[in-house]
Amino acid sequence: MNLVKWARLKSPWLLHFNTGACNACDIEVLAALTPRYDLERFGALLKASPRHADVLVVTGPVTRQVKDRLLRVYNQMPDPKFVVAVGTCCISGGVFNGCYNVYPGLDSIIPVDAYIFGCPPKPEAIINGVVALLKKLEAS
Amino acid sequence: MEENEVSEALKNKFGKKILEIEIPKKGEKVAEDMLIPEIMEIKVSKRRVFVTVPIEIYKEVIRYLVEELGFNHVQTMTGLDTGKVIEIMPHLGRGITITVRTRIGKDRPVLSTITDLVPGASLHEREINDLLGVVFEGHPNLTRIIVPEGWPKGVYPLRKDYIPEQPKPIREVS
Amino acid sequence: MQEEELQKMEKKSAYELFFDIPVGPQHPALKEPAFFKFRVEGERVVGVDVDVSYNHRGIERALEDRNYIQNIYLIERICGICNVAHTLCYAQAVEQLHGKEIPPRANYIRLMIEELARIHSHTLWLGVAAHEIGFDTLFMYVWRDREVVMDLIEMLTGNRVTTAINTIGGVRRDVSDEAKDKVNKGMNILEERLKYYRKVALNDPTVNARCSGVGILKPRDAIKLCAVGPTLRASGVKNDVRRDDPYTLHDEVPFNVITFDTMDVFARVLVRIDETLESVNMIRYCLDHMPNGDVRIKLPLSPPVGEAVSRVEAPRGELIHYARSNGTKNPERYKVRTPTFGNIPSVSEMLTSKSDYEVNIADIPIVLASIDPCFSCTARMEFRDVSKGKTWIWSLKELKAHCKK
Repeated sequence: MNLVKWARLKSPWLLHFNTGACNACDIEVLAALTPRYDLERFGALLKASPRHADVLVVTGPVTRQVKDRLLRVYNQMPDPKFVVAVGTCCISGGVFNGCYNVYPGLDSIIPVDAYIFGCPPKPEAIINGVVALLKKLEAS
Repeated sequence: MEENEVSEALKNKFGKKILEIEIPKKGEKVAEDMLIPEIMEIKVSKRRVFVTVPIEIYKEVIRYLVEELGFNHVQTMTGLDTGKVIEIMPHLGRGITITVRTRIGKDRPVLSTITDLVPGASLHEREINDLLGVVFEGHPNLTRIIVPEGWPKGVYPLRKDYIPEQPKPIREVS
Repeated sequence: MQEEELQKMEKKSAYELFFDIPVGPQHPALKEPAFFKFRVEGERVVGVDVDVSYNHRGIERALEDRNYIQNIYLIERICGICNVAHTLCYAQAVEQLHGKEIPPRANYIRLMIEELARIHSHTLWLGVAAHEIGFDTLFMYVWRDREVVMDLIEMLTGNRVTTAINTIGGVRRDVSDEAKDKVNKGMNILEERLKYYRKVALNDPTVNARCSGVGILKPRDAIKLCAVGPTLRASGVKNDVRRDDPYTLHDEVPFNVITFDTMDVFARVLVRIDETLESVNMIRYCLDHMPNGDVRIKLPLSPPVGEAVSRVEAPRGELIHYARSNGTKNPERYKVRTPTFGNIPSVSEMLTSKSDYEVNIADIPIVLASIDPCFSCTARMEFRDVSKGKTWIWSLKELKAHCKK
């Protein structure tokens, strides 16, 4: 494994974006960074700017108003970039499927690399998902 | 103030002009002394009063409640499309909740604003304007607050004739 | 040539001092999309415009298409943090439509879970507010202690965040005696930690400097703009739905309504910490006095024709639901007004500089966080983002890009 790939795998920098969620998934993502579950031991840091991040962590059903901003943030991230969809709202619209302002899932807007189930997923499930993504990258 | 005191005060001041006062009592309807047939029932329940008034005295009743009886907190304003008319209901009060209901026709959905009496009601009126298309005369800033930008004008999501439609996906799911 | 142009610009800016700063949906401060446009004059903020349309999901329309039992799950996901308050308000409204009372043991369990959720929400807020003022140590400490509450909620209801324990006619699960013992032990640990945080908040000089005298809301303005919750109580106005319009058991359980009179962010911090300590006492009272009996009654799926108004003191303020039924399985109209929506005019007022009171750009994040905004509640429709004020987002290139949007 070359040096660049090793560096990418050992410190994935996350950018968290909420596309109209109910906040339950967001507080579980934040709880995954607190001392009890500690996502930071995998080298993951929560960053502020899209230009610094490798992984986009998205929660929430995508609403009409936020779609353009989501595309803009996604385009601002440098390649190679990965997208993780957290929660059932991201995967299929969740309990809001059928509402007039909600798209049917995140993969109808941008390509997704990992899906994490749950409403909301427990912090252990989020860690499981991020580790699975890293393993998939290592294998590829 | 007790619920009965409020309903007595409203009856005394506005008398024949009020269409209906209800204070629901656990689902029972108790018809009290009807002054004239235009005043409808009075239902009694714990800390809730429902008053129905015609459009002409709507602002006067709100002014009386806010300034003289002291119900100066607007909890929310509900808009409702019954199919034939649109009902607008501000809910006032801190201990007792008084709901003042007024009915306006769908062909001319215009009502006077209450933001000059209670400035805190401005966002609620903007929301009803976005979702039901009711225009509040005298509102300082009646702009879009809740529907997304680019929402077509004239389409009101909470009206009964609106059919919700999900937006189309912009890429194929593999 | 360039010199002349620069001089012209400077002259112009001396007379036209206002500059609009947009803070867009993606920002590291709040975890929700919201859009704020601040009008600034140098470092002073003179106006703010809020756009809360990013979180609009069309819930009120969706509630009319589903029946009353399915709606419990939709109502719960209006906001993940205040989900207990929403389901409690919903269950109360539908029970008012039916005209029935629930058994007393259910009321005790409802009150216990509601106060546990209040502790969870206030400690979450305390951590986030500490993060806003740069006090990351306190953030990590508080969230570690919050895990005590999350474990208790998980043990009692089966899930950490969205609990769904309130249902129409009572609660879903009963509380066993071992559970009661664990809750008691948890309360003892929490009380000690909360008293420590209260001491930190009162004595730490950073907290004092960042929070005192900032975000002032006078009582008369608070009443005029219909503020609710701790925002109102921190301006000295003694209003609490649990005292004025008691529901479940709040007319039996003894508690104090906490107010402070310094009207600033510091007062809001103290109001929330003290409310958490009151909640601990209320939970202990519930555990000691819980009667035996059923926890649920069976109610038919369609309530009779009528309307109901139900109010609850959510952690963020007064929450009101209005229900209208036409005798069928689906509601005719269901209206939800969340506390953050009621606090938005107050926040615009707090962020406007006046002759005797200045707001600086650096104060924006903590003032916005002090009303405990939950824009997902607000924007059952949409919501806007508030940004934290990190300099990267204010780089001129990105600002221009934002303005062109």
